[in-house]
Amino acid sequence: MSDVSIPPKVLEIADGIKTMRIRGAGKIGRAAAEALKIAAEEYNGPRDASLFKKYIGRVADILISTRPTAVSLPNAVMFILSSLRDQYGFDEAHSAIVDAANRFIEESLNAVKKISEMGAKRIKENSIILTHCHSSVAVNTITEAYRQGKVVKVYSTETRPFYQGRITTTQLLNNGVPVVQIPDSAVRYVMNDVDYVVIGADTITSNGAVINKIGTSQVALAAKEARVRVYVVAESYKFSPITLVGELVPIEFRDPSEIVPEEWLKQHPGVKVLNPSFDVTPPEYIDAIVTEVGVIPPQSAILVLMERLGWALEKIKQGLSISTIRFEDLLE
Amino acid sequence: MSELERHGFTRRATGSELLFQIASALKESSSDVKSFARTFTRIYEDIINERPSSMASINALRMIGEYFLENGVNGIRDYIDGIAARYEESIMRAAEVAAKRVVEGDALITNSNSLAIRRLFKTLSDSKVKVKVYVTESRPGLEGLLMAEYLEKLGFEVYLIVDSAARFFMKNIDKAVLGAEAVAVNGAVVSKIGTSVIALDAHEARVRVFVVAPTLKFSIETIYGELIKLPEGDWRLLMDEDTRRTLPENYRAFAPLYDVTPAEYVDGIATEKGLFAPQAIPIVIREVYGGFPPLVKPLEKIAMEVRRYLE
Repeated sequence: MSDVSIPPKVLEIADGIKTMRIRGAGKIGRAAAEALKIAAEEYNGPRDASLFKKYIGRVADILISTRPTAVSLPNAVMFILSSLRDQYGFDEAHSAIVDAANRFIEESLNAVKKISEMGAKRIKENSIILTHCHSSVAVNTITEAYRQGKVVKVYSTETRPFYQGRITTTQLLNNGVPVVQIPDSAVRYVMNDVDYVVIGADTITSNGAVINKIGTSQVALAAKEARVRVYVVAESYKFSPITLVGELVPIEFRDPSEIVPEEWLKQHPGVKVLNPSFDVTPPEYIDAIVTEVGVIPPQSAILVLMERLGWALEKIKQGLSISTIRFEDLLE
Repeated sequence: MSELERHGFTRRATGSELLFQIASALKESSSDVKSFARTFTRIYEDIINERPSSMASINALRMIGEYFLENGVNGIRDYIDGIAARYEESIMRAAEVAAKRVVEGDALITNSNSLAIRRLFKTLSDSKVKVKVYVTESRPGLEGLLMAEYLEKLGFEVYLIVDSAARFFMKNIDKAVLGAEAVAVNGAVVSKIGTSVIALDAHEARVRVFVVAPTLKFSIETIYGELIKLPEGDWRLLMDEDTRRTLPENYRAFAPLYDVTPAEYVDGIATEKGLFAPQAIPIVIREVYGGFPPLVKPLEKIAMEVRRYLE
């Protein structure tokens, strides 16, 4: 039995993710869903459930291999593959993939809106909010709370080394929100005036720890000390299934020249510049995680994983990690 | 280095350097009472407006002002030299006290570019104690780069990190060593912005925090309830004008220069008189000034009286 060929459009999307033409957690996830949908729709092999599942598994493997570290990518793929059942015949399997892909795309697009609405509800009148780095969900949530007349002021940290806080500040200003930029070193100084910390997440682990831009855990600690509420706003595809089996989320150390100019580095060969891009905020410093499926305490993160990625969790518990999963073999 | 200036790098006098600058400026104007009074008044106003928390300078100004009101310019050069020399000596003694708390192989964290901390590392280097040092870049101003440069010259293993990475690395650290701009009577330490975050991170990770501060940095005014004023700046401390132009017209930044570390996050304050718990500051003040509360004239009053020489 020869392999059914994979549509060029699918390969094009895979390439887009790989070359970072497609960027951002949400966009990557939706692109992967779109690719699986196209793969199903343009399938031209025999109408055999088992062959079709193998083919979809192959497409899944190709997609996941494009960017192994972006958590939204395997999550989108697993969410869609989770819709397959062993007893499904060809037609059922085919429509399950298309429906799940459509559902993922729709839910992902609605997620930010839902999260901002729920998040804004948690903010009381006359509030001062502090945010770190740049997260579109956080900007949307703060803007929504501002439109409801609840926000008097926002502190946005610069977020060295890349100054993503300048993007946050610019976007909030464009939305009419009163915002003041502060250096990262001033978070504790202003924390006494702050009512809520609202931050995004890069990845959320099964025990509720939040991996986000370097400095997030320090902001959360300063908030905890000052009894300021910390809300993490994040789509459900930021939750990482592999952490359930104890996998660590690797923290990347980036180039020193992002912190100081090359010239300075050359003049100071004896100084090592360390540039970790993320840190881990423990769940006890987080009051709630606002996802599109609801507001949860961080310790319940596993619930989101079970609801959204139950099937994949089973596979992972059987001893497979994302990087070693071959969906082609798993789908019978 | 223009590339660094884009990020708001500036060379700013540390609290101790400021005191030495003031001492030499006053000495230069000590030929007659009028020119001394003029210089004194100008420096007093600059300090109150721009460096109100630089306590060593404020205390030195009070002492020099009092001397002037009693003796005019007679012998004032020697008096000022004496203050500067004693201060230099006390930084050295305080650094030696702190150095005894550091052992071979320690990993330390520090920020900014305090002279007292430099002296601490010089002492360690002279006695061949090898340590690793994490230095935060210390925005605004980025003086951490100067500290890293100095430590590199002394031959230490130096790691430069961004301010927000202090908690990330705290688990690797044995002790935090920090400078001070002022110490309040309740043991609270005024220091470069971000110091209190490092102290909080250290407290969370059960890392010991030592502050190196000669007693001239102790604030007498706080005994009477005065608050130490903390100067604040804007975007000019964080970027150059070209970068500012890339941001919206109504972009606004708030850049405090100092913060207050509460006494409970400080394990010891190393002074020329020894190592003290921050809560024991009143006792140290009693030792230094011969009684508690010390009977000193407020600097404001002294400055007013000095100004009369200008009329």
